[in-house]
Amino acid sequence: MSALKLRLRQSIHQRIDMSPFTPQRLADMRLTEIARLPLWQGNQKVACGDLFVLSGDDPQDIVIQSDSDRLDEIGSGMTDGSIHVEGCAGAYLGYTMRGGSLFVTGDVGIAAGCNMSAGTLTIAGSAGDLLGGAITGERQGMRGGKIIVKGNAGDRAGDQMRRGTILIGGNAGDYCASRMIAGTLVVRGEAGAKTGLAMRRGTLLLSREPASLPASFNDNGKHNLNFLTLFTRSLQNQPGFSDLWKRGSRVQRWLGDLGYDGKGEILVWCE
Amino acid sequence: MLIKLTGGTLYDPANAIEGKVRDIYIRDGRIVPTPPASDPVHRSYALDGKIVMAGAIDLHTHIGGGKVNIARTMLPEDHRAHVRNRTTLTRSGGGHATPSTLVAGYRYAEMGYTSCFEPAILPVNARQAHMEMADTPMIDTGGYAMLGNDDLLLQLIAEGAEQETINDYVAWTLHATQCIGIKVVNPGGINAFKFNARELDVDDLHPHYRISPREILKTLSLALNNLGVPHPLHVHASNLGVPGNFHSTLTTMDAVEGLPIHLTHVQFHSYGAEGDRKFSSSAAEIAEAVNRHPNISIDVGQIMFGQTITVSGDTMRQYANHGHAHPNKWTCMDIECDAGCGVVPFRYRDKNFVNALQWAIGLELFLMIDDPWRVFLTTDHPNGAPFTSYPHLIRLLMDRSFRNDMLSQINPDAASSSHLGTLDRVYSLYEIAIMTRAAPARILGLTDRGHLAPGAIADIAVYHQNDNPEQMFQQPMLVFKQGEVVVEEGRITRPVNGTTQVVRPDYDTGIETRLGDWFEQYHSIKLQNFKISDDEMAAGIGSPVTIHPCHGRS
Repeated sequence: MSALKLRLRQSIHQRIDMSPFTPQRLADMRLTEIARLPLWQGNQKVACGDLFVLSGDDPQDIVIQSDSDRLDEIGSGMTDGSIHVEGCAGAYLGYTMRGGSLFVTGDVGIAAGCNMSAGTLTIAGSAGDLLGGAITGERQGMRGGKIIVKGNAGDRAGDQMRRGTILIGGNAGDYCASRMIAGTLVVRGEAGAKTGLAMRRGTLLLSREPASLPASFNDNGKHNLNFLTLFTRSLQNQPGFSDLWKRGSRVQRWLGDLGYDGKGEILVWCE
Repeated sequence: MLIKLTGGTLYDPANAIEGKVRDIYIRDGRIVPTPPASDPVHRSYALDGKIVMAGAIDLHTHIGGGKVNIARTMLPEDHRAHVRNRTTLTRSGGGHATPSTLVAGYRYAEMGYTSCFEPAILPVNARQAHMEMADTPMIDTGGYAMLGNDDLLLQLIAEGAEQETINDYVAWTLHATQCIGIKVVNPGGINAFKFNARELDVDDLHPHYRISPREILKTLSLALNNLGVPHPLHVHASNLGVPGNFHSTLTTMDAVEGLPIHLTHVQFHSYGAEGDRKFSSSAAEIAEAVNRHPNISIDVGQIMFGQTITVSGDTMRQYANHGHAHPNKWTCMDIECDAGCGVVPFRYRDKNFVNALQWAIGLELFLMIDDPWRVFLTTDHPNGAPFTSYPHLIRLLMDRSFRNDMLSQINPDAASSSHLGTLDRVYSLYEIAIMTRAAPARILGLTDRGHLAPGAIADIAVYHQNDNPEQMFQQPMLVFKQGEVVVEEGRITRPVNGTTQVVRPDYDTGIETRLGDWFEQYHSIKLQNFKISDDEMAAGIGSPVTIHPCHGRS
């Protein structure tokens, strides 16, 4: 068996909802059936086969080849198997993902990993705003699983995050971990302004002091936190984060946001 | 064009027709007397064995105005989870608790409703409310303007203004806002909330104006009576949802001293404070009082179990209830110092003692109030439940064994502390036709609808006979709007737009001098921009007015 491949035929002007293409939804479907799946392109229905060149036969292992930033909801609600995107992805990558692994070689749009509850989402490029956040109106963002971004993340990474881990290799935008309820978020690069705004609980681990903190965070002094040793060692097999253990366990700690329970912590490694 | 409906079984309480087989003739959108045999019938419908009623009228449903939009914005998940796709005839939309305007119109028509009334239009929001209702297809609409918490009225009463002045202000408001009635919400209470009062009973004094809700109720109901406005004052009484509030409701009934008033969503106002949990049913006391006061009509505001959202002008009570918000998000706000607004999502649970008893209290009211002409079928959409639950509610009223089955599933303590199990009454089709057609038309002063006699607008609903009233009312065979078939077998076959129902009592335009000063000093827009003209209703807003007669000024 070989991976089921979808190659975008040409660049598209309208956004496409890719949620039908997950391993569990395509299980037991033949290639000809998949080619007939209806997709909305603007206000028109088109057959999948008209937009994509299809090949392969293993829906447990899906490969999407596309340079377009308009393929939305790739891996939405996926429960198992793997999806490998060679190129870029649009908005809501891995929205409500519940298992399996999703890998993107390029950049992705807004709200990647939004409302996901399990599984692994890896982005080799950069992510847009609201990484691991919540879709509009929901009161909880990411509820579990792991997101790894090798590049940068946009604003409000981890907004209303409830559980799980987000690792950002590059920089995070403004309002990083805003309204965070719980969970762990690591930024290796720089975090932007108002980091941790309205954070309730949870841990934000930074390499450097963020551009600014809200006034409602309290300096909590320097600490040796043993959990960091355990946590960083658990990342030793994680490319891009395997050397974090070398930073030790001594951190500067801020507590906040005092306007919202104030049990969140921002930890910055001491030089 | 002459249309004939042949052989249907009519339920037309306004004309005392109960289950008689009669033919109906329609010409130019109206029902006409039997024409001479020589007139050619252009189209006829064989309705043998079918049940024919006038189109239903909902006299209390929140389908327009700022608070509904706030509710829609607050629950995007409600719209994501209930999507209605576009068809070649109808447009797309969604939502369950607060559906989009288009979906609300379609769903109402698909249940046989042809006229709906938005009960809480803040005068300053009237333009927006009418725009939303103009976007609600299939049905005729109308609204009640909210007074009784606006500073001008309270100030006029406080300084002892002549009743004539207040009459003029009330009439001017009806004209300016293009409304058909006046509603008062928690009289004086919304305003008192802004002066930090957290409750205001009927005889308490407003902390600033030093007047009581009793005076507000009396003044406004007298004004409508003097002006000859057909719909009596629409009252959302004090202390909504508070255990023991039935005293306030009874006091409200007495406060108007025999003048007609309509008490709305009375289920929320019929609570006692007995028992271990200090929450009990006082439906019997309320029903007995309604039976005793021929000047009082009510609608029930039945709750149904499930997720919904409560929208109300009653900032004071919504603020008090915000802890129950589910999901946990809510808002209370002032609207341009005119009144207020509170939006709190709510999930009624059948295993919860209070919710289960609320459900039983609503049904007790339906079954214990004797006169179906004075009790109306509502869920106070969306506060008790979305209007789409009406067919289910009708079944609860018409089918005793079904009702008792449902009763056996709710919280057992609530079931045992309610009289519901002992009530044998079942509603007949005729009584359902009264409470959903004839009576609302009568209480609103609409002579052109709610019945099937010649002269009425040909708004007609035709149902299949069915032992299960829920299925029967869920899916009418045919719905006529102004003589055209718009729904077949519960599906829209022809999208149409309705008109706005208004009344125009006479008044002395001299009141605008006083109002003009008030607007200059306090309002965000000028008096001339505040008023909505007939031209604007027709051309700009897109829902031309239909003027209904007043009784004349006394």
